[in-house]
Amino acid sequence: MYCHKLLADECGGLQPALPTGPILTVLPAPVRAHRTHRYHPFTQQPPLYQPHRGLPKERSPSPIQLGTHISRLYPELLAIIFSYLEVPDKGRAAQVCQAWRDASYHKSVWRGVEAKLHLQRRTPTSLTNSLNRRGIRRIQILSVVKSFKEITRGVSNLTSLNLSGCYNVRDDNLYQAFATAVPTLVELNLSMCKQITDKCLLKIIPNVVNLETLELGGCSNLTDASVQVIASSLRRLKYLNLRSCWGVSDHGVRLLSGQSDTNMGLPMLEKLGLQDCQHLSDDALKYVSAGLPQVRSINLCFCVNISDMSLRYLARMSSLRDMNLGACDNISDAGIAFLAEAGSPITSLDLSFCEKITDQSLDYMAQGLFNLKRLSLKGCPVSDDGLTKIAKGLAELEVLNVGQCKLITDQSLRTAVESLKNLRSVDLYGCPKITNAAVKEIKEMVSPECVINLFLS
Amino acid sequence: MPNIKLQSCDNEVFTIDYEVAKCSTTIKTMVDDLGLEEGDDEVVPLPNVNSSILRKVIQWATYHKDDPAVPEEEENKEKRTDDISSWDSDFLKVDQGTLFELILAANYLDIKGLLDVTCKTVANMIKGKTPEEIRKTFNIKNDFTPEEEEQIRRENEWCEDK
Repeated sequence: MYCHKLLADECGGLQPALPTGPILTVLPAPVRAHRTHRYHPFTQQPPLYQPHRGLPKERSPSPIQLGTHISRLYPELLAIIFSYLEVPDKGRAAQVCQAWRDASYHKSVWRGVEAKLHLQRRTPTSLTNSLNRRGIRRIQILSVVKSFKEITRGVSNLTSLNLSGCYNVRDDNLYQAFATAVPTLVELNLSMCKQITDKCLLKIIPNVVNLETLELGGCSNLTDASVQVIASSLRRLKYLNLRSCWGVSDHGVRLLSGQSDTNMGLPMLEKLGLQDCQHLSDDALKYVSAGLPQVRSINLCFCVNISDMSLRYLARMSSLRDMNLGACDNISDAGIAFLAEAGSPITSLDLSFCEKITDQSLDYMAQGLFNLKRLSLKGCPVSDDGLTKIAKGLAELEVLNVGQCKLITDQSLRTAVESLKNLRSVDLYGCPKITNAAVKEIKEMVSPECVINLFLS
Repeated sequence: MPNIKLQSCDNEVFTIDYEVAKCSTTIKTMVDDLGLEEGDDEVVPLPNVNSSILRKVIQWATYHKDDPAVPEEEENKEKRTDDISSWDSDFLKVDQGTLFELILAANYLDIKGLLDVTCKTVANMIKGKTPEEIRKTFNIKNDFTPEEEEQIRRENEWCEDK
């Protein structure tokens, strides 16, 4: 019986064609003896990859070979296959047999994988051994009861740590985890770790000096003191998110921008998130404009205290491409005029729910913001006149959001779709004056790849 | 050099367009090394590929000869398996044995596009299955001792976290 099973296994994918019954058991004993140790023959082969050598002669032709079995694939080929699996499937493939287990240890299988972990009951050392054996360097912690210092200390070459949404993480957890330097770390995400304070950042930031990405969104206890240590330590930082860090003031942004005597600022910064930093005023953008001219993307959503003057400063930034001014209640047509007059090279502009943005703004855009590819006017009081203007002036436009623009009618929508040849996406959710007939009509006018969205996005 | 002769391990000779054949880096290198030129009657031997598989490979290469070069993969980019074209998907409706032989041939002949799409196809056969279901699918014997099986299960337990 044992031999029967084994031989059937070797016959691979053509099992249905196999005669059932005793036929397989009549193979001479020497053949059977020969085969028992060759079930996954490559486990005994040297690890060197030698496709040009071909397979050992004895393997082919085989007297009962009805089809090539998966065991003929070299471990390197299994590793390529496993590299296409998602993490749970990779883990299950490793449990199939010895050969698959061994192939699953190839580091190429796990390249780029972010391990997502609940750190609760598990023995930390066996976990970190498993991660290290697979060469995993990116970790997301989904939940943690006490400590995660085993991860920062135990995972070799840790490059990315994501603690986003771990509400119970406190200062002392982070002290322990970063008590010694982790120079390999380039990404740290602490968003929604709401308990952490300035004291924590003052201690840990000097131990992660090679960070390129730092997410602090929703860490609402943080103030300018945290910003100061970031500005003086993280010379390589490219992306900083301070969303809803309500304690951050204009002074903090001045430090970031190197516009004070005490530090140099962040010379590599490309992307700055200041959403919902409600204490920021126009001065903050004056500092950004003067000290961070290399910034490409800025998010000022819900910064209700900034006014048109901020756009006058931002208009000077020649690297700036992406600007989000959503729900900035004090931005008006005059601000857009500053951008357009200066010929700002921005390609993406979000003005969602800016209640003072009218058709006048669209007229300015059509006369100066010729690089715009993405524009959101969601919920702005703009009408057909304005939309017709940008339809004629902004030839590069690819993404247009006029959702909840209650004044827009079929007429300007048709003009826009006719004129804007590069459109990939149009958002029309909540436009009461747009008729179904017009939607049907424009769907036929746009390219087949273009998405027309009629629902809340 | 418009045509080239390829000989399979069972001694069948295929005369094909060199533009098709050179999607195999192995063949291209051999031709360069041998200094083959137009009019040469030299036959390139392919001792690791039988005629039925070579015929399939040529069919695939003929269809894909004008494909752009496959871009290098980015480190952190998620690898997809749902992007197999319908032609490839039909082409790969074959028994498992043929599929594995195509993988071996694509590897030996160094045809990245064919290796990628065949490996993706096997990956799709593994996805969403338990280890036991995978064994059944491919007729694989569980050769772990109970201790080994328990150890490897624990070692990969974290993979199921979400």
